[in-house]
Amino acid sequence: MALKHATPMLDELEKGPWPSFVTDVKRLAAKGNKMCEDWLGLMELSFKDKETHWKHGGIVGVLGYGGGVIGRYADRPDLFPGVAHFHTVRVNQPSAKYYTTDVLRKICDLWDARGSGLTNMHGSTGDIVLLGTTTDQLEPLFYDLTHDLGMDLGGSGSNMRTPEGCLGKSRCEWSCIDTQEIIHDITMEYQDALHRPMFPYKFKFKASGCPCDCVAAIARSDCSIIGTWRDKIRIDQEAVRAYVGGELSPHAGAGGTEKRAFDIKEEVLDLCPTRCMDWDGKNLKIWDEDCTRCMHCIRVMPRALRPGVDTGASILVGAKAPILEGAQLSSLVIPFMKMEPPFGEFKEFVEKMWDWWMEQGKNRERLGETIQRLTLREFLKVCDLSADPRMVSTPRYNPYIFYDPADVPGGWEHDEKAFRERHQA
Amino acid sequence: MAFDPKNLMKDRITDIGPPKFDQFFPPVIKENFGKWKYHEILEPGVLVHVSESGAEIHTVRVGTGRLISTDLIRDVCEIADKYCGGHLRWTTRNNIEFLVSDKSKLQPLIDDLRSRGNWFPIGGTGNSVTNIVHTQGWAHCHTPAIDASGPVKAVMDELYEYFGSHKLPAQVRIALACCLNMCGAVHCSDIAILGVHRKPPFVEHERVQNVCEIPLVIASCPTAAIKPKKVNDMKSVEINNSRCMFCGNCYTMCPALPLANQDGDGISLWVGGKVSNVINPPMFSKLAVPFIPQEPPRWESTVSAVKKILETYAAGARRYERVGDWINRIGWERFFEQSGLEFGYEHIDDYRLAMMTWRTTTQFKF
Amino acid sequence: MSEESKERILEYVKSQKKTKHYFNDLCKAIPEIKMMQAKKIVNELVNEGKLKYWSSGSTTMYMLPSEGDVDKEEKGMN
Repeated sequence: MALKHATPMLDELEKGPWPSFVTDVKRLAAKGNKMCEDWLGLMELSFKDKETHWKHGGIVGVLGYGGGVIGRYADRPDLFPGVAHFHTVRVNQPSAKYYTTDVLRKICDLWDARGSGLTNMHGSTGDIVLLGTTTDQLEPLFYDLTHDLGMDLGGSGSNMRTPEGCLGKSRCEWSCIDTQEIIHDITMEYQDALHRPMFPYKFKFKASGCPCDCVAAIARSDCSIIGTWRDKIRIDQEAVRAYVGGELSPHAGAGGTEKRAFDIKEEVLDLCPTRCMDWDGKNLKIWDEDCTRCMHCIRVMPRALRPGVDTGASILVGAKAPILEGAQLSSLVIPFMKMEPPFGEFKEFVEKMWDWWMEQGKNRERLGETIQRLTLREFLKVCDLSADPRMVSTPRYNPYIFYDPADVPGGWEHDEKAFRERHQA
Repeated sequence: MAFDPKNLMKDRITDIGPPKFDQFFPPVIKENFGKWKYHEILEPGVLVHVSESGAEIHTVRVGTGRLISTDLIRDVCEIADKYCGGHLRWTTRNNIEFLVSDKSKLQPLIDDLRSRGNWFPIGGTGNSVTNIVHTQGWAHCHTPAIDASGPVKAVMDELYEYFGSHKLPAQVRIALACCLNMCGAVHCSDIAILGVHRKPPFVEHERVQNVCEIPLVIASCPTAAIKPKKVNDMKSVEINNSRCMFCGNCYTMCPALPLANQDGDGISLWVGGKVSNVINPPMFSKLAVPFIPQEPPRWESTVSAVKKILETYAAGARRYERVGDWINRIGWERFFEQSGLEFGYEHIDDYRLAMMTWRTTTQFKF
Repeated sequence: MSEESKERILEYVKSQKKTKHYFNDLCKAIPEIKMMQAKKIVNELVNEGKLKYWSSGSTTMYMLPSEGDVDKEEKGMN
């Protein structure tokens, strides 16, 4: 069956070995899905014009919610009426994105009935993104979502955004914290902040189970929770010898699964950033007090080395993409914190941080920018955190210290009389 | 209970959050939660995780588009029902992981996936180029400078052999954001493809007072580049073009300030970023190519520049070196020399803290 | 107490020239109240239909239901 619009340019993207979104959408369009037909037409027009054909609209969600829906309208409804209104719905994903086919089919049924059938699995923040529906479908969709699927909307706008974590302990031997539980718990605890805006701008939590940071928490979350340990790397000396002897493939096969000679000095010891390891031909020795837990040795010899057992999280804050003050990575503010349910100590910290940011943050200022403007010292003080050399890569090298008068004997007052008794004018 | 459009509050459920994750676990994951001992990549895209109990779970990772239809999800469900007891997950990078509890079904699953044309490429593990994370582009965004799904498809077609193999020195993470708002953060990627606008918005004076609230438009500009201006008898605004940073915020507030432009907009490439703490700390991506014109439908110049960077890295880097580690070792002067990319004024930072990136030593390579 | 605060917020919004307001603009109308508490009051105003949300996608603002261009946008006229 011929589709409504010819798409010679898009058709070029049906070629090649990588999966083609064009073939995928055309398949749906061919079943009579009018929205997909017009979406293809609009996309083809963009390919021709090299410009987008979408406009923004200010709708935000369903009744009582201040987020979860992004309003979208085509700027050529005359040509493509099927996508004249084409709003996005963000659905909060289950932690670490495990599904059964049963729940996925329910999502598909819901979205085929109430929208375009196009999705993102998943959006950048982690939500299930349903692309393209009309305003009149939003409330019924939300009703079905909450009643039939037991699911809810995710965040958008000046809300806490949908938290996201790596798969953690469910299938990773390196995870030092239960990222899924942490993310689920934060999401549930702060539903109001997720659904009803109160912040100066967006606020993101991300949790990674180890310093490999598979969800990029350190680069893209206002509060990054990264698993770590403070005792010793666990060593199975026999397995170390097996790697050295070429019996096990190094790097868990990540660099090729074929058996090959393995030079432990070159591939592990010399690449250790703190040179805290030694190999005497029989045993591996690690000076754990010098280890900065970079994970390299563990990644290269996963059957021999494992993170320690006294585990918790390092908490860093303030990462963001460039708008406005330039990109920032998160900065370490809590070197180590135990992370066990119900995460009381962590939430106390979060609420102090939010109180301060809500009071002090300017509109559209991410936490990292507020900290930059008002100083890390101020942030640490309001969060009741003491200064620690672990928080800096180097102490300051400018001499402009803004002293607190409380720390100087007599504050900022001088005894003018006594001064003049010592010194003539 | 059914939806009643006349009474939205009837039986309304709110703030229930996502379903608890563990109800979707396959039994072997539930039983071995927190007990995993080690994993191994058996071949590109195929992993086994082994528990302290000796239990195993096999995973087959496949690439998909980020933009997928319910039809495709249903196909995925059919496969997962057949081989995985209905269990699967998505990764952060838009890959699907089929979770195989019954080892006898592993090979049949792999064979099945391979028999389905180009729908389900297996790979994305270890020292590969895994799936490109990206934003909406022309598919659904109102401020993109470039498309997203199109260039991603074109680049992945070209780098396909690196998705299903482990022949690179380390993993290479590529990301695409269609404008510098970066709703998908790309600033710490081995190779980042970033859309840039180069023309500030133009002002449709006769529309502004009808469709925009001028105080809000002025307030929306992060660099305070917009001022009120009367044009003839119309209330409008003027833009200090030299202060424009091309974020599109004003266009969001005021559709009479369009900034998209087929000639002004294009692609920039950034290299050497990473997020992991492995060996070296996380790094930002740095500018490699300031501007490549848009070339739908196959983006040939972008594709070949990305490939050139990747293959120069693959040829020059040592085992375990990420792109940024490699460049730090050889130096940027060598990077530009070896990759054949041009270095120009655009590469020299002139924003805040720019001097942190200038060379303050006599040490360099001729 | 909270009824009075609600009134003050609405009066503030009505007195302004612009129609869309940030959350912390609304808080200016009730400076003695902590923001976490103010949030609850604003939520109530939204639930009662006396304020509504507007979002740019990345930031969210509040406006009076009588004002605004949502309907116009709906018709694709914006």
